[in-house]
Amino acid sequence: MKAICWMGKYKVETQTVPDPSIINPRDAIIRITRTAICGSDLHLYDGFIPTMESGDIMGHEFMGIVEDVGSGVGNLRRGDRVVVPFTIACGNCFFCRKKIWSACDNSNPNAHLMEAAYGYSGSGLFGYSHMMGGYAGGQAQYARVPFADVGPLKIESDLSDEKVLFLSDILPTGYMAAENAQIQPGDTVAVWGCGPVGQFTIASAFMLGAGRVIAIDRYEERLALARALGAITVNYADEDVSVLTAIKDLTGGTGPDSCIDAVGLEGHSAELQGIYDTIKTAFLMETDRPVVLRQAIQAVRKGGTVSIPGVYGGLLDKVPFGAAFGKGITMKMGQTNMHTYMKPLLERIEKGQIDPTYIISHRISLEEAPEMYKVWRDKQENVTKIVIDPWLDRAA
Amino acid sequence: MVNFNEKPNAEPLPRQSGASIILDGRYLPPPEDKDGKLWVRTSALVQGSPQDLYALWRKTELAPLWQEEIEEVVLTGETTSRWTMRSDDTVITWDSEILADEPGERIAWRSIGGDSDNAGEVIFEKAPGGRGTYVIVLQEFRMSKLTSAWETLSGRNPKQAVIENLRHFKALAEAGEIPRSQEAPHGKRGLIARFKRSLYGENVTTPPGTKVA
Ligand SMILES: NC(=O)c1ccc[n+]([C@@H]2O[C@H](COP(=O)([O-])OP(=O)(O)OC[C@H]3O[C@@H](n4cnc5c(N)ncnc54)[C@H](O)[C@@H]3O)[C@@H](O)[C@H]2O)c1
Ligand SMILES: [Zn+2]
Ligand SMILES: [Zn+2]
Repeated sequence: MKAICWMGKYKVETQTVPDPSIINPRDAIIRITRTAICGSDLHLYDGFIPTMESGDIMGHEFMGIVEDVGSGVGNLRRGDRVVVPFTIACGNCFFCRKKIWSACDNSNPNAHLMEAAYGYSGSGLFGYSHMMGGYAGGQAQYARVPFADVGPLKIESDLSDEKVLFLSDILPTGYMAAENAQIQPGDTVAVWGCGPVGQFTIASAFMLGAGRVIAIDRYEERLALARALGAITVNYADEDVSVLTAIKDLTGGTGPDSCIDAVGLEGHSAELQGIYDTIKTAFLMETDRPVVLRQAIQAVRKGGTVSIPGVYGGLLDKVPFGAAFGKGITMKMGQTNMHTYMKPLLERIEKGQIDPTYIISHRISLEEAPEMYKVWRDKQENVTKIVIDPWLDRAA
Repeated sequence: MVNFNEKPNAEPLPRQSGASIILDGRYLPPPEDKDGKLWVRTSALVQGSPQDLYALWRKTELAPLWQEEIEEVVLTGETTSRWTMRSDDTVITWDSEILADEPGERIAWRSIGGDSDNAGEVIFEKAPGGRGTYVIVLQEFRMSKLTSAWETLSGRNPKQAVIENLRHFKALAEAGEIPRSQEAPHGKRGLIARFKRSLYGENVTTPPGTKVA
């Protein structure tokens, strides 16, 4: 089959690789009909996530048709159409039973690596380093899906692939980000980052009762989408704009009830602290660039909540913990507990209440993907979301 | 006298808990490595009853399904068995004997000759709050000339092997299979791929768990 392989920092290639096969009884093989590139893939592309190996197949947002199932999968059959959650969960450990799916104890074969770094290991993820399981990803024509009796969501209506594809990650991620923000009716919520995750976070914040949403980014096309959802936008790169001042101005000097960091470890900043982080990360004294996290903690109102869907990987420098303590804030974060949100969000799509396709800007083939990774990283061509048809025969 | 006695959900403390983790209300650290003896103590919270987990562990002949690099276990008596361990082309064997067998609670064993000198026990304790069972393993190795073969040949630090085996046991008990990714398809590997594989512990084959699909 064809697949997109990580070949080192800033280097991905479309290669021909062996097809996956059923290994464990609860496995399924999916013939992938649509897959996508995520902001999280950039952290791999840019070399921020350790334990990637040349040849690793990337991708964790995918859906398709069940091709084959193991003897332990009773609820799926060849031919079923499914969306696959990017976190892999067994369904029966202490954490799965508590519905903290992304903390599953039994899905990471390399748990010891994450245990060494984090104390305990989270669940395995598709196509996201050896530390997170060493599983082949979904930017390919086929994928092996473990615990297929628990994860994949069957699509029984005739909704197009594009309408349901984002149930594999970013739609539940945006929703959980808003849920983690503990929004009360009428609250003001500030969201950093208007990428796909930020978009669905803004929409979900309104769904969960926000009175006002302030959206922050520097790309006009993304800010325009945020305004179309009903948010007030702040372009942090505009001359004379200071995000913290803007947020105070827009909240009567009080600060938002909730601040959401939908940017993560590659936060961009042209200010001195950005240069400081770039130098420190280059010398491995710091692993992440937490410019947005710093701002979110600083900006949130007293007793407010900071929700962090943006991914962080390692050691963060100069996080204003005194401000967090001094204001008595709550922070909630983590990989999305996918399995909880997929079905209810599918129902909203089926009822026509939400249509996540509006963020798609590019539809491409696997061959075109290596070039598009660059475009995605540099946010050229007004890119907002790239969807791949792995069977589309179109050369780069 | 302490007079703060409102504790609606507190459970009575065991006077002594498995593998000497608690004694009279005090936490005890694991034994120190010394005199050529290595110790490892590890524990896991497993969804299952002490009885069922004991029964799975006690099926000694099934150990190759969940213990790394154990090729075969042959029962040689009521309480004795012969173990064969293989890593690539190197094979070691030893005999093992069960010293204590308390259904639903505890199993203790030691090697009785052959290429490995080890002893250990596993304890099954109800976790507080009805959360399942704490499975606690305490194992010691004596690293003589012969037994250091174990370390070299397993490609895994023997302490880590004990930790990984308990992890595999838990997965088998809870999920009915052991998660695996070593067979994952991939593109062209780089020059240091072999080195990375051993760095990540991926050169030690994941035990089969439930037999294939
Ligand atoms: N928690 C989860 O389970 C989960 C799931 C999916 C994605 N994520 C993470 O969410 C984050 C966003 O993903 P995405 O797909 O939307 O990525 P993306 O790269 O498309 O979007 C990030 C956006 O942040 C903006 N940004 C950068 N610096 C900023 C700053 N200082 N202030 C305001 N905006 C800034 C960028 O301009 C960009 O529009 C990533 O870190 C990704 O890894 C997390
Ligand atoms: Zn993603
Ligand atoms: Zn689980």
